Amino acid sequence: MKQILQRALRVRELPISVFLVLVVLATGSTNHAFFTLSSLQDVLLGVGIIATLAVAQTLVIVMKHIDLSVGSTIGLTAYILGASSSWGHDIWWGLGVSLSVGLIVGALNGFMVAYLKLPSLVVTLATLYIVRGVFNEIAGGDTITEDRVPRAINFLGLNRFYGIPLIFLIAIALMLLVGFVMRRLRAGRDLYAIGSNLQAAELAGIPVARRIFGAFLATGAISGLAGVLLLARFNAADANSGAGLELNVVAACVVGGVAIAGGVGTVYGAVIGAVLLQTITLALGALGVAQFWQLTVNGILLISAISLDRYLSSRVKATTIMGSSK
Amino acid sequence: MVSQQTPVLEMVNVAKAFGGVQALNGAELALYSGEIHALLGENGAGKSTLLKALAGVHRIDSGSIHLNGRDFEQGSTRTSREQGVAVIYQEPNLFPDLTLAENVFAGRQPQKANQVDWSGMRREAKNLFDQLGVKLDPSAFAQGLSIADQQIVEIAKALSTKATVIVMDEPTAALSSKEVDRLFKVSRNLAAQGCAVVFVSHRLDEVFALCDRITVMRDGATVGTAPTAELTEAKVIKLMVGREISELYPKQPAKLGDVVLRVDNLGLAGQFADINFELRSGEILALAGLVGAGRSEVVRAIFGIDKYDSGSVTLNGKKLKAGNPALSMNAGIALVPEDRRQQGLFMPTSIDKNSAVTMLKRISRFFLVSSRSEKKLASKWGEILQLKYSSGSDPVDRLSGGNQQKVVLAKWLATDPKVLIIDEPTRGIDVGTKSEVHRLISQNAQEGMAIIMVSSELPEVMGMADRILVMREGRLVGEFSRSEATAEKIIAVATGASIS
Repeated sequence: MKQILQRALRVRELPISVFLVLVVLATGSTNHAFFTLSSLQDVLLGVGIIATLAVAQTLVIVMKHIDLSVGSTIGLTAYILGASSSWGHDIWWGLGVSLSVGLIVGALNGFMVAYLKLPSLVVTLATLYIVRGVFNEIAGGDTITEDRVPRAINFLGLNRFYGIPLIFLIAIALMLLVGFVMRRLRAGRDLYAIGSNLQAAELAGIPVARRIFGAFLATGAISGLAGVLLLARFNAADANSGAGLELNVVAACVVGGVAIAGGVGTVYGAVIGAVLLQTITLALGALGVAQFWQLTVNGILLISAISLDRYLSSRVKATTIMGSSK
Repeated sequence: MVSQQTPVLEMVNVAKAFGGVQALNGAELALYSGEIHALLGENGAGKSTLLKALAGVHRIDSGSIHLNGRDFEQGSTRTSREQGVAVIYQEPNLFPDLTLAENVFAGRQPQKANQVDWSGMRREAKNLFDQLGVKLDPSAFAQGLSIADQQIVEIAKALSTKATVIVMDEPTAALSSKEVDRLFKVSRNLAAQGCAVVFVSHRLDEVFALCDRITVMRDGATVGTAPTAELTEAKVIKLMVGREISELYPKQPAKLGDVVLRVDNLGLAGQFADINFELRSGEILALAGLVGAGRSEVVRAIFGIDKYDSGSVTLNGKKLKAGNPALSMNAGIALVPEDRRQQGLFMPTSIDKNSAVTMLKRISRFFLVSSRSEKKLASKWGEILQLKYSSGSDPVDRLSGGNQQKVVLAKWLATDPKVLIIDEPTRGIDVGTKSEVHRLISQNAQEGMAIIMVSSELPEVMGMADRILVMREGRLVGEFSRSEATAEKIIAVATGASIS
């Protein structure tokens, strides 16, 4: 019985899923409008972008790293996609450039973290500024408006498949793909090993630098392509697009049980975390709570999430020089 | 069981120096497959260095190593492992967030169609655990596993890589007796499957119960190898310590005064228990024992770094508050810690600032510290301790180990303590500075300071101390006066050996 309980606690997605259900039920019972299809769709539409970036971020957070540059990257590529027609190119050119931008930023981050052994927090904070700076130079005061958004992308933002917004479906597809990689492939398992115990990973012959580089590259590539989603969702882009998103993404991961200390967490948890944060935002709105309280609630949620982590990992049996079974 | 074919591992005439210190010189080790071989020696005899050469951590300066009939390629821990050497450390290095099965197969998980074959991996891990005769759940997480079980996981990993030589470095130090029995069974299983097992332990009874042959090292050289049946514990101890105590230690007789410090029934759960002793002014009391016996833990508790759960510490008739180093310091206790780089000094900070840091209250005015008075204080103590340095504003990490130790001593002697506790006073410092440190300790004792010295070096203990307390597994197990102490007696008590 105790063992089953311990296993259940190990399923890190469980407590937050339960909490998500509670939030929905509590809000719905006070304000029945919250149960309607359209508010569910609101949640899913709003969460697609953060969920996509959170899936990508999970790759680096399980290695005990972080990538703060994703907000700048997604903003830049959203703008490029919107501007490509006025620059005389088609959408394929835009997608190619978006992927390239993502790969370049990812490679830069990965190279500096994996091979120069610089701390990822600082490296990706630097690339956050650099990319945003380049972005400002390219975009200037220009704003992409609805009429300049490519048709296909516009379609993506407006349509649903069996009622589910396409943006959210893309996020789910990506989640399943990355989830498969992280669970089923050696390379994916290596990321967990690196985050769990770096020294032991090196001793086990895992190509640590190559894996770190690869994960940052993948995160960059996904963030680059995710510009499509950002443009599709808002039908607009300017030099401020995507600013600050990175912190929401990290918050979603942490709330979803992807430990900032590395080694644990799944993309499923990260997506549930994103959904929970979005739901709470809308729930507080439905309950008539002033908007700024939403941020406070998010903060409290974050602290609860890491406290739970701390509690679960602090129950390691202490062994001592007088023998462990006294 | 020992087959008299060619040895699976042969290390011949191995030498290795670190800086000026010759750690190995004439070290030899030969292993046959199917045997359990004990490697014995005092702290610092060179066992660890020799095994680290095998593990790929150090490269040897000269000598030869043959493994499985081939020249052993020295490179990294990885090349060693690929050649069939597995090392089980006292504190294994697992992935706490992964399952035991994944811990065994990390980086080389069994695959099916290029995907990790989870059920196959669990099955194989289960097989390995069964082969070793232990009950462990392959899908349990490594977090929270006892040290004993962690070692088993490492052994299973070694078995899965088809290791031919398995080194266990003091594996029993943190195990209960039941766990030790299980480890013995596992070791015999390994030997029966053709592995050569090297077993390092300070507990002679275990060595005699388990091992087929014994190799003894002393001062970096191998001094003997023999089948266990031909040896006795007394003979082994003689081999381990058989050296002259040199006249390195100019201890001067000092007059013993009143009791300054009294420790009553001190205990800290899991660390030490029932510690009782008195210390007089002018006395040098040595705490001897093996590394990990709990000596540092006791002095840390006395000084107040760790809070003890039971008992009391009385200084000059007044009980000290537990767990408060600042109060202990004001009351007149000083602690020179065992690791000067981590605990003793602020490495990037200047010699002046390091020397004066214990005296900031006394040399500051209106809450401001004057660097002139820091400098004055530092140069005064630099002179007394014959510190070799170019400028007081140099960071201490530019000094040699011996001179760094003098700075730590300076900052504590400056507080004019009644009780000075020194943990490993001369670890890693050259011979010349060593005797200067000893002279300083002796001189302060003559002037009436009471001194507790924790030391793992027997010659130092026997050369310096008026009285020797021996600890084993967190308890005081022996007391010797200067005249009755011999190296054999101390080792016997510290290792729990039975000699008449």
